[in-house]
Amino acid sequence: MFYFKRAIGSLFIRLCLFVFVGVCLAPVLWGLVTSCLPQSALTSKVPDFNLRNFTLENYVLVLDSSRGLFLGLKNSFLVALFTSIVALTFGSAAGYALARLNVPKSNTILMMILATQMFPGIVIAIPLFLAMTQFNLIDTHVGLIIVYLSFILPIVVWIQKGFFESIPMDLEKSAAVDGASPLQTFQYIVLPVSLPTLFATGVFAFIESWNEFFFAIIMTRVNVKVSSIAIAEFSGQYQTLYGQMLASAVLASLPIVVLAILFRKFILEGFVEGAVKA
Amino acid sequence: MATLELLNVKKQFGSVTAVENFSLFVNDGEFVTLLGPSGCGKTTLLNIIAGLEEMTSGEVRMNQRVVNHLSPFERNVAMVFQNYALYPHMTVAENIGFSLKLRKRPRQEIMERVAQVARMLELEQLLDRLPRELSGGQQQRVAIGRAVIRQPDIFLFDEPFSNLDAALRIKTRGEVKLLHQKLGVTSIFVTHDQEEALSLSDKIAVMRQGHLEQFGTPEEIYSKPASKYVARFIGSPQMDIFEGQFEYSNNRYVYRIGSIALVLPHSITIPNKPIDMGIRSEFVKIGETGFPATVHLVQPVGPFTYITVYWEGGSATARVNGISHLKPGEVVQVEFASEALLFFDRESEKRIDLW
Repeated sequence: MFYFKRAIGSLFIRLCLFVFVGVCLAPVLWGLVTSCLPQSALTSKVPDFNLRNFTLENYVLVLDSSRGLFLGLKNSFLVALFTSIVALTFGSAAGYALARLNVPKSNTILMMILATQMFPGIVIAIPLFLAMTQFNLIDTHVGLIIVYLSFILPIVVWIQKGFFESIPMDLEKSAAVDGASPLQTFQYIVLPVSLPTLFATGVFAFIESWNEFFFAIIMTRVNVKVSSIAIAEFSGQYQTLYGQMLASAVLASLPIVVLAILFRKFILEGFVEGAVKA
Repeated sequence: MATLELLNVKKQFGSVTAVENFSLFVNDGEFVTLLGPSGCGKTTLLNIIAGLEEMTSGEVRMNQRVVNHLSPFERNVAMVFQNYALYPHMTVAENIGFSLKLRKRPRQEIMERVAQVARMLELEQLLDRLPRELSGGQQQRVAIGRAVIRQPDIFLFDEPFSNLDAALRIKTRGEVKLLHQKLGVTSIFVTHDQEEALSLSDKIAVMRQGHLEQFGTPEEIYSKPASKYVARFIGSPQMDIFEGQFEYSNNRYVYRIGSIALVLPHSITIPNKPIDMGIRSEFVKIGETGFPATVHLVQPVGPFTYITVYWEGGSATARVNGISHLKPGEVVQVEFASEALLFFDRESEKRIDLW
């Protein structure tokens, strides 16, 4: 009876996981299939998923540089790259300080950082827009990076603080006894030990920034059109080019997918290390 | 090589006093253990000696020189941490040689000295491994190697055996003692394990809530504990301490514990205050003479058997050699060796000599 119950339980968990994976993958599959079908097959009353219609025409069309996808990808890349570099640099410095140095009122600071995460984007969108206008930062890379940092940096601070706390204090004491200056301790001990986590956090910041749409559409016009905006523009006033839109979406997802696959070991290691005390 | 002197060292964390008025003198080459339960301030004190923690007031001197404001490195101390604190991303060789690398010693010299230390600690086969690929005992040896290579004036050990299993702990204990005999470097060892302290140390400093309770050789600490606290903390099983009272009967002084009265030597001087009496299990004898008591508990531990007996108003544990065949409920004759009785002022808990 016990084994039977356990088998049923295991079956149930598998079933749940199966459904979960299905729910996650279905839109991706739908997008992949759609990106390979001609507009005519998609705009008929009942979408025609017949594989006879299979075509790569959408990809050829969107890869035509005049369509702006390339420019979008380039902009997205620049913004995501600098967002993650700045977020990592300041986020880990702040995280280290909050975890290790006796910063006065560190708990208050941490709660304030956390509080910034409690407002939905829509609430801060208008004040941010006004501020950016004041500083002439609308439709600039710098402006978008600053806006992204406003919600990515706090998360990075928290992740890094959690991680630095998980490094045994004795490691740093030991380095001090061995004769390392604080800077050498950071260089030879803390930094190498933190690399997987820094990497994971960096990838996280990159993905967050790359996928962002809401602030991008508010804060940019023509100069800094990121890929998510470029994709959305396939939906026009008179028609929506579903095939091309999804072909662009697939192309825009590729860097993230590649990033995740290449560095999945680091990402998992990093997040696990951040979560569990050593 | 160095002498170490602590003068009225005090450390406060906010309103909590971790170490109070602590003074101690350690001779060159001595092995001294700071012994006490967790939270008594011994690790804080070790960190103060190392220079990893600033003290609130007081002085630390090495070779008569005040080192309060020197970094751990400048004090030339080496420390072995409780969790070893091996650098996880460095190989064994890199771990051991790290301090030399920081001092920018030539590569060749670092390699030679690492090899020398590795030979001494039998780590030669493991030099290219990462710490996570080592067993607990091997990690421990690497941690010691990292300390030894520095050729420090003082070794500091912060409960270095607490993560090892019982058998390995005793083996490593022996290795540390051998190392001390060989190198003769002044060593400060922190532990809460009284057996470790007794077996390793030239002198033991028993700590209680940030105070120094007693400082002396293992023998003094064991057989002449300064207080009830030390008496109870040292020795296994714990010393039996009785709250009885003196009586005068048949021209002799006796000490009454419930239904029994222990006859005391004629030379005794009875103080005019309540006195507790203590005795260690090896001086509680079960045999032909003495007072009757009932066996309550029989605990064989191999070379000895601990037998707990009770009588009306008291109980005590006796240590007998070998395996005992006594059964709970049996009535036996129990005798306390009067020369081994210890007396404590009930009020101050200090030990007092009565003859």
